[in-house]
Amino acid sequence: MSYLLTQLVNGVSLGLVLGLIAVGFVVVFKSTGVLNFAHGSVLLLGAYLVARLHPELGFWGALAAGVAGAALVAALINTLLVRRVAEHDPGVLAILTIGVDILLLTELTRQIGNDVLDIGAPWGASVVGAAGVSLPASRAIAAGTAVVLFAALGALAARTDWGLAMRAAAADPDTASLMGIRLSRTSAVGWGLAGALAAVAGVFLTSYPTPGVEPGVSVVAFAAIPAWVLGGFDSVPGAVAGGLVIGVAQALAIGYESELHFLGGGFGEVVPYAVMVLVLLLRPHGLFGQKEAIRV
Amino acid sequence: MRTGSGSAWEAVPAPGAPLLDVDGLDVGYNGAVRALRGVSLQVARRGVVAVLGGNGAGKTTLLRAISGTLGSAGGAVTGGTIRLDGRDVRGLPAAEIVRAGIAQVPEGRRVFRDLTVEENLRAGGLTAAPRTRSAALQGIYELFPDLAERRRERAGLLSGGQQQMLAIGRGLMSRPRLLLLDEPSLGLAPQLVARIGEIVTEINRHGTAVLLIEQNAVMGLRVADSAYVLEVGRVAASGPAEVLAGSDEIRGRYLGAGAGTASSADPGPDDGREPDTGPPGPAAAVRAEALKVDGVTVRFGGVTALADVSFEIEPGTVHALIGPNGAGKSTCINVLGGAYRVAAGTVRYGDRTLTGLRADQIAGLGVARTFQNISLSLDATVADNLLTGRHRLMRSGVLGGALGLPRARREDREHRARAERVAELLGLTALLGRSVHTLSYGDRKRVELGRALCAEPTLLLLDEPVAGMNPAESAEMAATIAEVRRELGISILLVEHDMPFVMGLAERVTVLDFGRRIADGTPAEVQRDPEVLRAYLGSEAA
Amino acid sequence: MSDRPAASLRLDSPLRLISSLRLDSPARAAGAVLLLAAVAGPLWLTDFWLQAGLFAMAAAVGAIGLTLLVGVAGQLSLGHAFFLGVGAYTYTLLAGEREDGMSGFGLPPVAALLAAAAVAGAAGAAFSPIAGRLRGIYLGLASLGLVFLGRHVWLNAEDVTGGYNGRTVEAFAVPGFSFSDEDPDYLAVLGTPFGELHRLWYLFLAVALLAAYCGRGIKAGRAGRAMAGVRDGETAAASVGIRVARVKATAFTVSSVYAGVAGALTALAFGRVAPDSFALTVSIDYLVMIVLGGAGSIAGASAGAVFVSVLPLMLVQYSAHLPFLSAPGSGGVDAATLSRFVYGVAIVAVLIFLRGGLAGALRHLGIRTARAGRPSRPARPAERSTPKESAP
Repeated sequence: MSYLLTQLVNGVSLGLVLGLIAVGFVVVFKSTGVLNFAHGSVLLLGAYLVARLHPELGFWGALAAGVAGAALVAALINTLLVRRVAEHDPGVLAILTIGVDILLLTELTRQIGNDVLDIGAPWGASVVGAAGVSLPASRAIAAGTAVVLFAALGALAARTDWGLAMRAAAADPDTASLMGIRLSRTSAVGWGLAGALAAVAGVFLTSYPTPGVEPGVSVVAFAAIPAWVLGGFDSVPGAVAGGLVIGVAQALAIGYESELHFLGGGFGEVVPYAVMVLVLLLRPHGLFGQKEAIRV
Repeated sequence: MRTGSGSAWEAVPAPGAPLLDVDGLDVGYNGAVRALRGVSLQVARRGVVAVLGGNGAGKTTLLRAISGTLGSAGGAVTGGTIRLDGRDVRGLPAAEIVRAGIAQVPEGRRVFRDLTVEENLRAGGLTAAPRTRSAALQGIYELFPDLAERRRERAGLLSGGQQQMLAIGRGLMSRPRLLLLDEPSLGLAPQLVARIGEIVTEINRHGTAVLLIEQNAVMGLRVADSAYVLEVGRVAASGPAEVLAGSDEIRGRYLGAGAGTASSADPGPDDGREPDTGPPGPAAAVRAEALKVDGVTVRFGGVTALADVSFEIEPGTVHALIGPNGAGKSTCINVLGGAYRVAAGTVRYGDRTLTGLRADQIAGLGVARTFQNISLSLDATVADNLLTGRHRLMRSGVLGGALGLPRARREDREHRARAERVAELLGLTALLGRSVHTLSYGDRKRVELGRALCAEPTLLLLDEPVAGMNPAESAEMAATIAEVRRELGISILLVEHDMPFVMGLAERVTVLDFGRRIADGTPAEVQRDPEVLRAYLGSEAA
Repeated sequence: MSDRPAASLRLDSPLRLISSLRLDSPARAAGAVLLLAAVAGPLWLTDFWLQAGLFAMAAAVGAIGLTLLVGVAGQLSLGHAFFLGVGAYTYTLLAGEREDGMSGFGLPPVAALLAAAAVAGAAGAAFSPIAGRLRGIYLGLASLGLVFLGRHVWLNAEDVTGGYNGRTVEAFAVPGFSFSDEDPDYLAVLGTPFGELHRLWYLFLAVALLAAYCGRGIKAGRAGRAMAGVRDGETAAASVGIRVARVKATAFTVSSVYAGVAGALTALAFGRVAPDSFALTVSIDYLVMIVLGGAGSIAGASAGAVFVSVLPLMLVQYSAHLPFLSAPGSGGVDAATLSRFVYGVAIVAVLIFLRGGLAGALRHLGIRTARAGRPSRPARPAERSTPKESAP
């Protein structure tokens, strides 16, 4: 029982971190219509900056620098590249971000080399436990941070002018510009926000029990794509829920791998994709998505 | 709306100079089509100016050019100037033009459906100084008490009229010096149209100048001081509103007054030949069948777009479906073509029931159609677009094409020849090798008609075949349609709101208004019907 | 595809094949020169270039298939690598011998190659119920799932695939002639000894030309027009009797057949199959090929395939001659890193500066009209941009 509970708690924590990444996909998609394949390398950039800078700035300073750096780079990708592409075809824009991803990832791989960099988080390798469930502190803090961030995002979106402008621009960019909302700004903010969230997720993905910052971390962002798809593409709460579904499913598959041996070794890694294909078969527009209206 | 108190009002550069001065404006889309040519227009301080014209005349393009939103539609200003209070605003991004004092209420309201009423209004006021916003909000709520009542509701749940009020209120939140209104009466009931007119006057009294785009000429001319008539991208007439309202030509063309006398006297096609007695064409072996529409109801969300509509198209006739914008005409054609599902009712073609069939199955029964928004393969040639129409009549598959099998090649040749015959009928022969994206708007419309004809239909559904055409192009299209009917002996359903065009072509007319059938009969009968006059021309004209 | 392609290839005169490559007159001349160079290539090319050529031609076959799906039919797919893998493993399994605990059927390689195409096509058809219902990036992401699921199967079905380390691939052969260094053990043309690479070169060239020929036929024929119709407007396509879901399924199937053949060729060129050859990055590489070349263009897809497959090999091979490169692991820019940079920059630059890819750029140079690029929607759209009756 406590084993199951441990797996569930682990899954929820992982799911919330995936949710942070998936929300980034949602925000970028809603503000610019782009499937952002560079999201993973932006995440890696954030984690890399924290790992490199924490000896000098201390962890919290480095965290601020990493989040700011990832946000800035993401916003620049949008402003300097995505907005320059004349053909506003989702496929073309997605491939553009693939090009950006290759460039960013190649440079980061060159910088990191064969090392595994320590993220330098103050919670280190400590473990917290309650009710027979023990959990690495990083996972508990990750879950708490994600919840706080989601709540803050929700409040910002609902209460502030800034949130109103973002929501209006996402709902109908043409009309929003007739309200004097500057789309260049809302889209840059959207990308920057996605980058910042990715950097935070990157810090948790490279904390204990994972070894540290290495180029492979960027691939984890792909596991958030199924979460995003399950959430229905344009819904922030949907992305969080999708992250939870994927995180719990993955944690259970890994936790009970010996019982699931008939599915093959390493099944936990493909669980997100298996869930995604299954859900798309049953509900082509995700768990929370609305059917697109076909207009003639 | 205490707009008169702003200091900008006192900083007038030259007394009597217009607030908005558009001079020699040229606009093109995608570098190819000239949608506006040398348009000049002035809006006086505190003036109300109406811009009238049919679909495709360039009215919305004009507003988009002024509000800086051409770019998202692929258009660009290629010549001329736009000045607001002497300041050149041409080429400024939309968001800056709002800050300069111009607010646009877009066509079709475009409220943010998932935001609440109050959030919609706040979004409109984002550019205003924070301390003035609550006063502006109060002003809007005084003007539109309905909105105050429903301020916490999602805008998507409002009725069409309330959404229009919200869209206007949202535009006023930025305290504009000039308000651009794009078709505010679109799809609204007559009493609401009158209310919108009062609101425009009220807004104007508070000091805001208004530039109004209207298809409802009666409403436009009633509220405006002066008006411009656009026709195919040019200013065809302009002057004080009452002068234009009195002009015979304007009355004939836009107020419908002349329609009853000018063209209904000639029930046949406008080239004068009698369609009914003409010799059967070469393809008269085609057997058209009767189309019976029976009690069709269509709903979108909570809105009923068509309510219990019935009519019948006799085999081999031209039948027109007319009505004001928003009457449900396009919904109806989309039901017949299989693009929309009915909530109730049936459509039968001959002894087959069309309701419930997929669009491609309906096409397989010999029903072809064109679209209101032209839908062609832009990169492909005219010939290939026409051949696409012959898809259902061809058999070769992937393998035949891949290997270039003789059978596939022969089939391709034969059908290419048939497509060329259709091109000849429509005068497209010289264009067969051109890519569609190099063609003019009128030619594209003909290509789309050609694609539909290539499917060898027995029933042809034409969705606004002359929208956006100038009178010459439109007359040519009328002649073409008459010839198609004569040559091919098929039934044609014509969805239009250009009344004179329809009156000259159709044997029978069904009139829709607010999704209901309000009249059905011969053109002459329908034109005398008081309810039609009221729906079409506004309450005053009846 | 049945065995008809090979038959028709022999029946068709070589001239027809050449003429099937034409774009327009200057391009036709260039195509003829290229074809001549390709035929004469093995006489003077080194093994390195022969190997690179094999990869490029295999990739061209796959890219033509993908451009039919993505460029012509407008269906985004990130799952191409999966179908490549299905083709590669099918060939390897069917042509391979039962040995070392591996399954194998020992079928004639020709049959195994055709089966690779058929099985991959069947896999594409099996996926098409999903493909028919989804559109745009939904479809792209659903197909992305295939790549990860496929990889899982390949890692685990060890007796078929050899697991992580993969298995060797049986050489291609027709009765009496092997496309390897044996049977005949020595073969020379104009004094050049023709070994495995030389022999495979001609096999690959023939398959690639056939693929291009068929691709052009599909694109220009009834099926291709239906695909373009679906891409440019599903409602309009249905209105002329095109069954949209079936056309999407057909496009998926056709593109999978191409991928199956390309996968088998890739396996032959490597001499070994392993799951890493069919990872997500491979799907992405194929997308990049067709976008660089100009989506929907057969010649563009082929050019993109050559660029994407040869560039990294070339930079690594000639890194010693490039003074600014440093040794791998030294922290500077090594050849592999440089090739990734060039690759990334090429993608970004083409998308930002060359609309319609290389093919589009060439077309624009050729036409030199005053029009400012391809309109994205019909003229005078603003008047009609709002669906009036559906939003009362």
